[in-house]
Amino acid sequence: MAQSHDQQHENHHEATHHAVPYSEHIRTLIALLFLTAITVVVSVFGAALATLSVFTALFIATVKVVVVAYYFMHLKYEKKIYSGLVILVGILFVALSVLTALEYLNR
Amino acid sequence: MATATAQVSYLEAKKGILSWLFSVDHKRIGLLYLYSLITFFLVGVTLGLLMRYELLNPGKDLVEAKTYNQIFTLHGVIMIFLFIIPSIPAVFGNFFLPIMLGTDDVSFPRLNLLSWWVYIIGAVMALSTLVFGDGPADTGWTFYAPYSVKTGTNVSMSVLAAFILGFSSILTGLNFIVTIHRLRAPGMTFTKMPLFAWALYATSWIQLLATPIIGITLLMIVAERTLGVGLFDPSIGGDPILYQHLFWIYSHPAVYIMALPAFGIISELLPTFSRRTIFGYKAIAYSSLAIAFVGYFIWGHHMFTSGMSGTARFIFSMLTFLVAIPTAIKVFNWVATLYKGSIHVEPPLLYALAFIFQFMIGGFTGLILGALATDIHLHDTYFVVGHFHYVMFGGTGFAFFGALHYWYPKIWGRMYNKAVANIAFVIFFIGFNTLYFPMFISGLMGMPRRYYDYLPEFHVPNIVSTVGSWILAIGLLIMLGNLIVARFRGRKVTERDPWGGITLEWQTPTPPPVQNFDSLPELPLNGPYDYENKPQIKD
Ligand code: HEM
Ligand SMILES: [Cu+2]
Repeated sequence: MAQSHDQQHENHHEATHHAVPYSEHIRTLIALLFLTAITVVVSVFGAALATLSVFTALFIATVKVVVVAYYFMHLKYEKKIYSGLVILVGILFVALSVLTALEYLNR
Repeated sequence: MATATAQVSYLEAKKGILSWLFSVDHKRIGLLYLYSLITFFLVGVTLGLLMRYELLNPGKDLVEAKTYNQIFTLHGVIMIFLFIIPSIPAVFGNFFLPIMLGTDDVSFPRLNLLSWWVYIIGAVMALSTLVFGDGPADTGWTFYAPYSVKTGTNVSMSVLAAFILGFSSILTGLNFIVTIHRLRAPGMTFTKMPLFAWALYATSWIQLLATPIIGITLLMIVAERTLGVGLFDPSIGGDPILYQHLFWIYSHPAVYIMALPAFGIISELLPTFSRRTIFGYKAIAYSSLAIAFVGYFIWGHHMFTSGMSGTARFIFSMLTFLVAIPTAIKVFNWVATLYKGSIHVEPPLLYALAFIFQFMIGGFTGLILGALATDIHLHDTYFVVGHFHYVMFGGTGFAFFGALHYWYPKIWGRMYNKAVANIAFVIFFIGFNTLYFPMFISGLMGMPRRYYDYLPEFHVPNIVSTVGSWILAIGLLIMLGNLIVARFRGRKVTERDPWGGITLEWQTPTPPPVQNFDSLPELPLNGPYDYENKPQIKD
């Protein structure tokens, strides 16, 4: 049975290990650097934009998370169910924040 | 597969204490958990008995007010983090999940061993608060701020212990999710898994997603105590309600970490002892997921009296009621399984029936507490203490002991004395209800929880309750004594399915070999409880 473990392991490798071209990693990197640059720029003008800068920063951070998860962490190549699980966790996170904010803002 | 070695039972495969402490065999790790859990449980019970003794009469009998506060805190921390949260998954999940799925181990055996070691480190840290500094925390197991930031007792150590224990929980959850996705026997689709596996699956997701929240929150307490960051303490600009939110965002889902595995156990016991296919397999399976999901959104019901906004109170009260739906679905399906079954009254079934009875009381009183209007009156009274002991102890605790009696012959290849087990059960059951039922009454009368003293008008229910705690202790000692004696002197069991069960663990030799199976397990045609096609077992 110890064997069967290794076999499963190998099958698993064949099934899902895509060779991702370097160019894709590089594009991911460029995208992340670009988004970071925007975050910095926005924060420099932060005082003028007031609350808007917080939303912008959060929004850009979210985009970055998606890029990292989708390309760098290979979500793109996984079965649908895994994207589903990630989305579910995202919904959960938003719902928890909204419920807490709801309580806080109405206090 | 080498058949010669496959026959050696996991108990005999290697000798010596180190072969246990560093074993990566899921069965041995399950037993490591079992022995440590029972030890801590007995410590917790002793603290509980001490508290009940103090409450026998109004006024001071045994301990100071502060000591009492420390005792109920340590009792709560031990019972929650060291006993009931790991209980069923860490012991029976570890031991039986791989076997029930028809595989030879969990996906990450070494992480599994690590999770036990992490658990032990956390346990030692929690108990170490007894012996140094100002003694155990006196905050209650909830560590509410700002008191937890200000008290001189060992809050930081207790909180770090809970933080460490969280990792153990996460590792177990992660392991089970991957195992269930990757290592099911060929042909075992998700809807052909035993319901215990479904329950563990839902539980594992909660462990994985909710535990990090309490981890961070507890670290924030430590940061607040040592650095004075100003997170929760209003005198330095913090918000104590924020602490309660963060705490209960984990701790409410955590009650489903405690309850769902127990539901899984009951869904195994009832078909075996009524020789019937479980009624509503899919309803039970999916309701576990539904409970896990809805359970995330109702934490606010712990904060109705904390100064929460009316809107939020209304929404949380409404959402709380929603959980009753999938839970009731389970209970109806269990009862329907028993209906017209060929019922074999054996010790494990008694625990399952007691579970249904007591969990129902726990659940219904939960609805009373979830209803905004009644909770305002009952919050922080003994009604709450009665409610959560009924759910956690009367529910999950009884399921745990039911599972222990059910799988005992498979684990050790021995059978306990059933007559003694039945007697112990009756005493335990009577003791439990005598101990906790009066708490509903004193609670309704208005007796507050977490005090070492009370007004004379609450005397009678407290006497009854304390006498109940002694009855329960006697039942517990007989039960454990019976099991311990049977380990060495019990009748040897070699048949594979002493109860006539048909999930895969009953197809392996007793006790199981290191590799779990000696031949390829045979999946029943129509799902895991296919008694219709097993007439030889129907008797
Ligand atoms: C012999 C068994 C037990 C006895 C006699 C007992 C008794 C008590 C008593 C007297 C309290 C304090 C109530 C108060 O002053 O507010 C308490 C609290 C508590 N018990 Fe138990 N109990 C027992 C078993 C258990 C079990 C099995 C669990 C969990 C599975 C548990 C979980 C708790 C928790 C979480 C608290 C709340 C602690 C706090 O307020 O911070 N108990 N118990
Ligand atoms: Cu709750």
